[in-house]
Amino acid sequence: MKQPPQSESPQDEVPEDYLSRELFDMVHVYIITKPELQNKLITVTALDKKLVGCPVCIEHKKYSRNALLFNLGMVCDAKTKTCSLEPLVKKLAGYLKTLELENGFVSNESSKQQLPKLMEVLLKEINESGKCTLPIDNSNTINLKVIEHRRTPATVQEYEVPVFTQCWDYDASQWDLTTQQILPCIDGFRHLRKISDEADVELNLVRIAVQNLLYYGVVAIVPIFQYSNVYCATPRLQLLAEDASLQDECLTYITKPGYRKATLRAAFLLYSSLSPGTTVRDLCCRHAPHLQHIDERKLVQFGLMKGFIRRLHKIPLKLPAEGRGKISRWFNGCHCYDEICCKKGLSYKELEEKTEHDPGIIIFWK
Amino acid sequence: MARDRTNPISVILVSSGSRGNKLLFRYPFQCKTKQQTASTGRRNRFAIVSGGEVEEQEGDCSESCLLTDEHLVSGFSDTILATILAPKSELCGKKFELKVDDVRFVGHATLLQHENSSQACKADPSPKREVPTMILFNVVFALRAHADPSLIGYVHTLSRRLALALRREEWRCQYLTREAKVMLAAQDEMGAHDGESPFQDVLPKSKLARDLKEIYDNLCSTGLVQLYINNWLEVSFCLPHKVHKVESGHVSPESISRSLRNIRPYHALLLLGECKSLLSELPPDVSPALSRLIKITTPMKTLQQLALDSDLALAQVCQLASHLVYWGKANIIFPLCESNVYMLSSTADTYVYSANAENFSQQFPGHDLPSMLAEFSLPTPLVEHRNPLANPDQQAQLVHMVVWLLQRRLLIQLHTYVCLMVPDADESDATSGTVCRPPVFLECGLSTQEARATSVPNTLPVGSPSSGDDLTLASPVTEVTSAEASSAEFGLGGEDSPVGAGAYENPLSVLTEHERRCILAVPAAQNQDDLRLFTRLLPYFCGRQHLEDVMYHENVRRSQLLTLLDKFRGVLAIRTHEDPALPALHCLPS
Repeated sequence: MKQPPQSESPQDEVPEDYLSRELFDMVHVYIITKPELQNKLITVTALDKKLVGCPVCIEHKKYSRNALLFNLGMVCDAKTKTCSLEPLVKKLAGYLKTLELENGFVSNESSKQQLPKLMEVLLKEINESGKCTLPIDNSNTINLKVIEHRRTPATVQEYEVPVFTQCWDYDASQWDLTTQQILPCIDGFRHLRKISDEADVELNLVRIAVQNLLYYGVVAIVPIFQYSNVYCATPRLQLLAEDASLQDECLTYITKPGYRKATLRAAFLLYSSLSPGTTVRDLCCRHAPHLQHIDERKLVQFGLMKGFIRRLHKIPLKLPAEGRGKISRWFNGCHCYDEICCKKGLSYKELEEKTEHDPGIIIFWK
Repeated sequence: MARDRTNPISVILVSSGSRGNKLLFRYPFQCKTKQQTASTGRRNRFAIVSGGEVEEQEGDCSESCLLTDEHLVSGFSDTILATILAPKSELCGKKFELKVDDVRFVGHATLLQHENSSQACKADPSPKREVPTMILFNVVFALRAHADPSLIGYVHTLSRRLALALRREEWRCQYLTREAKVMLAAQDEMGAHDGESPFQDVLPKSKLARDLKEIYDNLCSTGLVQLYINNWLEVSFCLPHKVHKVESGHVSPESISRSLRNIRPYHALLLLGECKSLLSELPPDVSPALSRLIKITTPMKTLQQLALDSDLALAQVCQLASHLVYWGKANIIFPLCESNVYMLSSTADTYVYSANAENFSQQFPGHDLPSMLAEFSLPTPLVEHRNPLANPDQQAQLVHMVVWLLQRRLLIQLHTYVCLMVPDADESDATSGTVCRPPVFLECGLSTQEARATSVPNTLPVGSPSSGDDLTLASPVTEVTSAEASSAEFGLGGEDSPVGAGAYENPLSVLTEHERRCILAVPAAQNQDDLRLFTRLLPYFCGRQHLEDVMYHENVRRSQLLTLLDKFRGVLAIRTHEDPALPALHCLPS
């Protein structure tokens, strides 16, 4: 890292001479910038290196040239993804600005000497553990942490089910109160609404908590399990045929406790038999012998989590009468059975009766 | 309508020369009065910074997105852009990427070497042309920092192509210098006026400015750029993120390239639009082979057949087909035939009044899209959708409707894949079943066959599949050269392989003893022919090739194959799903 103040040359570099003079000359305009660009996060790529910095400008008569410009930046390899370092750089810039305004930390000759040491500590600790504590003086400490940037997950619906991705050994105190209350209810079979009822937590709070868990990869979302569900195989099923460790994991997961371990052939056959037109109930009837020592719920759950199978949703559509007649709120081809049942409080059977007796309703499976 | 994240925010042209850095043109431009200066001066530290957090949830107010975009780049004045976007000469000739807060600038700074003009000056003591003072220039696209990272590479390619063309024209006739003069003159003139942007005035005067505006507009709409710099040099470009846009989802650039790598001669070409309108879109200097191909192409014929019909080489047909797919004009599918099994795609929009529904009713009066889609909910071979009592016109209409649905990616085709999976060795044995060994089979088996069949690396095995039921090969690639297929043969390894090539061992030698025993235990194994066929097809039973592939390569009829699979079902695992080798046929939800 380097920190060049007014003069157009790097004052402090850790490790020393990491940046060639050549590179610095090329990019100095992005490091010590015009006033218009101050306080902006600037990332520039040159000569296989990426520099992330945030220039700061403090105007005051006490400085020679009436202004102090400085920039504490980070230098990485050009291919690195630096989004997670940006908040760090911004925070450091803010801190240093405050320190300068209060104590003249940056411009003062004696306190300036601390900077290279601080930068060394920063470099070492961030690279090793992703977090760092920098004591500046008796009353000031900077705490920094690199936060991994993740994708925002899709909204979780109330008829969807969270399931733990691994056997997590969690420390309850690390999570907020709401999450702590709902964690015992997450068993891979209860959907959001049920969790909300059983844990006595408002539905939206449950949704937020589960989405938070989803963001950190603690849970995955699967559809509700019912014996009337229909699933079909995906190309990812090939992975089960090829990956020995995955096979092991699968067979251990799906075998009923206390029974002989399931065979790969049985698992594969069951997954392959899941196809459009076949409900889980049909599967159980057809392959009863195999399912003596395999838990079909776990089989489906594992298949969904690993992407071997996908759920086929049943979507009813009521065709409007001649012309653009009024379309039904729920039967407009956009809502699946799960959603309708959940939101209208119907059971699958009740909804099925409604749709079967209406000749104007057609069914999609997708 | 929410603003697409893949849209560029702005296109900017800057130059650097003896008179310093200048911003020549930017689009879209704002009125001077509305232009906001950057964050100088004091700001309330508790105010929410608009234009900061771009990572909003879907469903956010689209207006704020629009304002945010303008805000993002209007915050930069012309001078500051000129400073940061015209880099030092050492940074020229490679990708230029600079990120400032939420804007990512991508370009390709290019040096203009004065070799030609300085030589001309030396030769001619009284120079007729004026000496150019521009040293370098940069066509920069401003993108949203949170946009798809794959976008950066493509936009950079466009910037580089423009740079090459502009440099050429500059060397030839100082095109860029002339245009720059016009642009700067207009800016100086309008400097005094308030209310209107100086760039507004540049547009009618400068062809280059109009070109840049066209590029920006096209990138935001169709994703297709095709223009002539100085009415002379063609620059063409297509942005996959836009070109392959589908109603209810999107197709990623990787799926397109993956599909292109997996083209086979038994695939067919499906045009995504009307033949006539496609022909009219082609540039005037298009190759006649391409127009010929477009005229005769039909989703019922394989690329092989098209090559024969159009009197072109198969390799050329494949190349032209890839070209059409790349530009979003066509797709690679398995040819339409009776045995094809289609299913409703999971991303198909089933809303009763979707845009597709309207078009469908117009195209096929008397039918409605929802009913048609519902018919395909349960996958069955195409032949079963036919009404045997219908007249030929109605039969033909069914085919047209299926083609229509395929063009819009509303249907996916399902294929059958076979995997060798024998039952467990011992009932009480706790170990899991046998593991398939696909890589070995695939590597040895097919590469040998293909190598034998071809002499030129780029050509593919010759064959002329006529119908889905009967994919025959003109010249069979494989022969069964092994001696009597007896059970003894299985025990020996390294013998004449069933495939005839001595290049790799008997495929059965890679099986374990247990697997061999299980196969031989099947009652059908007693039949010599069945066993021989099974052994011959064994390399394909790794789950990576569908039945049609097997039929094509091994010259086997579908009925034969299905019967064999049924007989040996005790040691096989059969499944059905879409073809992972052609991901461009399936779209991901947006």
